[in-house]
Amino acid sequence: MRQLWITLRLAAHTGWQGLRQWSGDAAYETYVRCAMRNGNAGLLTREQFYVEQLNRKYSRPNRCC
Amino acid sequence: MKTVKVLVWIAVATVGAVALSTVALHRGEPINATWFVLAAACFYVVAYRVYSAFIAAKLLALDDTRATPAERHDDGRDFVPTNKWVLFGHHFAAIAGPGPLVGPTLAAQFGYLPGTLWLIVGAAFAGCVQDFVILFCSIRRDGKTLGEMARDEISKRGGIIAQLAVLAIMIILLGVVALVIVNALKSSPWATFTLAATIPIALLLGVYLRFFRPGRVLEASVIGVTLVMFAVVAGQWVADSPSWARVFTLSGVTLAFCLIAYGFAASALPVWLLLAPRDYLSAFIKAGAIFSLATGILLVRPQVLMPPLTRFVDGNGPVFAGKIFPFCFITIACGAISGFHSLISSGTTPKMIQREGHARFIGYGAMLLESFVGVMAMVAACAMSPGVYFAINSPSSIVGATPEAAAQTISSWGYPLTAATMTGLAHSVGEQTLLNRAGGAPSLAVGMAQIFSSTLGGERLLSIWYHFAIMFEALFILTVLDAGTRVGRFMVQELGGRVWKPLGRMNWMPAILLSSALIVSMWGYFLYQGVVDPLGGINSLWPLFGISNQLLAAVALAVATTVLLKMGRVKWIWVTLLPMIWLVIITMTGSYQKIFSANSRIGFLSYANALAAQIAAGKIPAAKIVETQHVIFNQRLDAGVTAVLAVMILVLVVEAVAQWYRILTASRKPALQETPYVATQWAEAD
Repeated sequence: MRQLWITLRLAAHTGWQGLRQWSGDAAYETYVRCAMRNGNAGLLTREQFYVEQLNRKYSRPNRCC
Repeated sequence: MKTVKVLVWIAVATVGAVALSTVALHRGEPINATWFVLAAACFYVVAYRVYSAFIAAKLLALDDTRATPAERHDDGRDFVPTNKWVLFGHHFAAIAGPGPLVGPTLAAQFGYLPGTLWLIVGAAFAGCVQDFVILFCSIRRDGKTLGEMARDEISKRGGIIAQLAVLAIMIILLGVVALVIVNALKSSPWATFTLAATIPIALLLGVYLRFFRPGRVLEASVIGVTLVMFAVVAGQWVADSPSWARVFTLSGVTLAFCLIAYGFAASALPVWLLLAPRDYLSAFIKAGAIFSLATGILLVRPQVLMPPLTRFVDGNGPVFAGKIFPFCFITIACGAISGFHSLISSGTTPKMIQREGHARFIGYGAMLLESFVGVMAMVAACAMSPGVYFAINSPSSIVGATPEAAAQTISSWGYPLTAATMTGLAHSVGEQTLLNRAGGAPSLAVGMAQIFSSTLGGERLLSIWYHFAIMFEALFILTVLDAGTRVGRFMVQELGGRVWKPLGRMNWMPAILLSSALIVSMWGYFLYQGVVDPLGGINSLWPLFGISNQLLAAVALAVATTVLLKMGRVKWIWVTLLPMIWLVIITMTGSYQKIFSANSRIGFLSYANALAAQIAAGKIPAAKIVETQHVIFNQRLDAGVTAVLAVMILVLVVEAVAQWYRILTASRKPALQETPYVATQWAEAD
């Protein structure tokens, strides 16, 4: 039973993280992790990153017919 | 174990073959939709297991030891290594637009068979191949765009054609999808209110996401989707209130101008304020509605009432004119193969892929799913009685403007229909009329509503489900409209900046306003001409969109073929070459017929000449002469646009063939433009 509970929790966690990544909810955390890894200085704030990311995304075809 | 696997695959293939044969050969009584689902699902599974594996191994030789652009340039912004399931969702959300819903619905006028077969077979052997191979090419070139690859691999002129094709498809696409919305919303206060309400909701979310909870997309989407659902219900109160209903009862022309103003605003306003939050809303509702439709079809298993072939295979269909070849293929468009997908496959996706091996699942697999959406749209459209289908989708100039006239005309075609059926159906979905709503959206919404209400709520909720479906389709289309207008603005600025430098400054407000006005006036013109077209607009514009879309697919397949030749895969070149030849044949035949056909419902020029002759003979009342001259001008303009598209195809083919000849006759191995091999640093498992 305990094993089942752990499996279910793990599945729910994976699903939730997948949903957050798909929707863009986790984009800032991904960016920060990457910046830390690469030792980038001048990290953007969450708000700056949000606007910058949208401007980039919507300047090229990103929705199809 | 291996024997069991082989037996399972043989069983899947057998079930698929039986189901497909049943769909193809069944005559007489209505057929159950389950056969469509089974045929499509089994065919897709086998195609994925066999054909995509063959392409991955023999043609592309996908290499999981090679670092992808996402690994080499990992910057947390553009280049982000992403789990393959998440990236599949991203890629599918990007490629799935209104095309696979509207195209099959329109093509249902030929009967269910031609469209269904092309959706299934075309996707497996053309659309998926294009998406997969272009994704691979872009991964191997650091995420280069289709235009850049066309320039590098074919010729500079090939690159320019690709850019022009993208702009052409963008303009025609935006005009035609806007026309679909107009035809769905005109004279419908409920639907108009619901869609209008999504704009303030999006603005609210925009402010919330920008200033209060930056980037918290999920919580904002939950708020937004709840508000949109409330707007669907509130639309009924608006429709029931005489004073409010008057405000939201708009004519086609008024709606067209509203959409043009919306497109301008979405392009010129900051992206965080309107465009992005509306896109978030759309993404969730899109995913939910498609999932619900699939579940609904599986639960309800409706009978398909449309015959396999209708009498309109002769080319005189009321929805659009033209025979199965080439118009069924051009009309289906995105559900089987879409050139626009190649922009996504050479856009965001190649920069996020973790391993080359994932390209098969994402490139080939996502297109299979899109095709499946097309099959479901076909089922939803064909599950209603053919008489009702033709009454909704035919223009008043063909079937008449009243239920009685429509019932008489359509019954005389052999599809029984009574005026009471149409009046009753309109009443039960909360509309004043469902007649003359060419464009596919309302008939698909009726089909979806009937399936949804059979699952949940029964007749009582039919009107809510209908307006939910209309809202879903319109939201879907608005996403394409606003995002497309903005991208079109960037293209206009980029191209215009070469002529007049200040226009190319992306942050200069006059340049933003001017280029936004230019792009909306271009697609707005097509929209307007569609709205005032006596033949309903869709008859002229949807084939034009189909031709431009397939032109872009031909560009993509020409690039793919060239790359494969350079890789030395001459033996397997038919994989991309045959779909390309097929596309060139259907687009050239379609273009020729749209320009020169003597049938005035097909040929732009013959229709223009027929109208001119009527003016000359004094058959047009004086009050209608100016209007008729506009229609004549529009037909000649459409003929000119079609001719330009056809010339672009021919130039591209000549350029590509010349390049292939050089490659095949060169004494030295041609230079591949791939980025050099770098071994992955990541562990094998992902």
